[in-house]
Amino acid sequence: MGYVHNVHMSQYIPPTAMHCVTGTYTNVAGQVIDTVCVHRAANAATGVVNIPIILPSSTTGQQGAMLNSIEVDYELLVAVAVSVTAVLNKVTRGADTAVASVAVPTITQDLAAGVAAVVQDQHKMTVTVTTPAWTDDDEYYLLEMSFECGAAVTIDVLAAVANYTLRV
Amino acid sequence: MGYVHNTHLAQYIPPNAMHYVTGTWTQTAGVIADTIALHRAQANETTVINIPIVIPSNSSAEKGSKLTSIQFDYELIGAANTSVTPVLNKVTRGADGAVATVAAVAQTMNLVAATSAASQEQHRMIVTVTTPAWIDNDEYYLLEVSIVAGAGATTTNVLAAVAYYTMRA
Repeated sequence: MGYVHNVHMSQYIPPTAMHCVTGTYTNVAGQVIDTVCVHRAANAATGVVNIPIILPSSTTGQQGAMLNSIEVDYELLVAVAVSVTAVLNKVTRGADTAVASVAVPTITQDLAAGVAAVVQDQHKMTVTVTTPAWTDDDEYYLLEMSFECGAAVTIDVLAAVANYTLRV
Repeated sequence: MGYVHNTHLAQYIPPNAMHYVTGTWTQTAGVIADTIALHRAQANETTVINIPIVIPSNSSAEKGSKLTSIQFDYELIGAANTSVTPVLNKVTRGADGAVATVAAVAQTMNLVAATSAASQEQHRMIVTVTTPAWIDNDEYYLLEVSIVAGAGATTTNVLAAVAYYTMRA
């Protein structure tokens, strides 16, 4: 029986899989023809986009997927934002009748929340997990992106890509 | 170290993962009990469905996934449509501060856009990639299906897509 240990795997996560709250979000064509995005209308509030990290997990220790980093492609249009902040949440599912629990693994984001990440421009934010861990079958990750906006800025979220190690 | 090279992998893509522009789309039960669909209400319009091809990629050359074909299950209800046309787009993501770029990928389809793909019927469209290529971690595919509904009282149900690929890891 073979064995795979590949440290260069990536998974595209489309905007249609993302969970968007606070604000008015619609599916529209992207700024570049033949791309797609979820668009947030102008709203002087903090919009929150949760990106489900859809990777394999495993009931066996040290197998399945180890999440290493996530890249988020988004555009800020019309004006600069106030801040764009990433938080990685690891959700441990509850047993029947029990609630889930949430932990916040340490990450770093390459674009400063109130500086480089808020410029009116195309963005690729890379969020790196400080201490990657194998994902148990009772766990999953959500990357919570908070877009603190002024009155004018609109947002296009194009895609995310999760980079991971696969061991099976 | 072992090695996987499997040419028969397939990935189901549900209708609620697809991206719909133009038209009024709602989640409904499928025509067959216990199936699900995205349903387009009747209108004389051209609607565009983008199907995200959610298969693994890889930053190492000649590893990850090689997309070979996509099957698209849909139903045209009420009357024949004018045409149903797929275009396969490969998106190369931009660096921070740069836009993405898009290239159309050569493909063939088993149905004819204005005839067999547009009839009032259940459909399984097969889009075959002419020259499959390994997907880099900065790339992803969107299958863009344009449905020209025409003046007939047509509605559309989208049931599913399945991406066929080779995996090497």
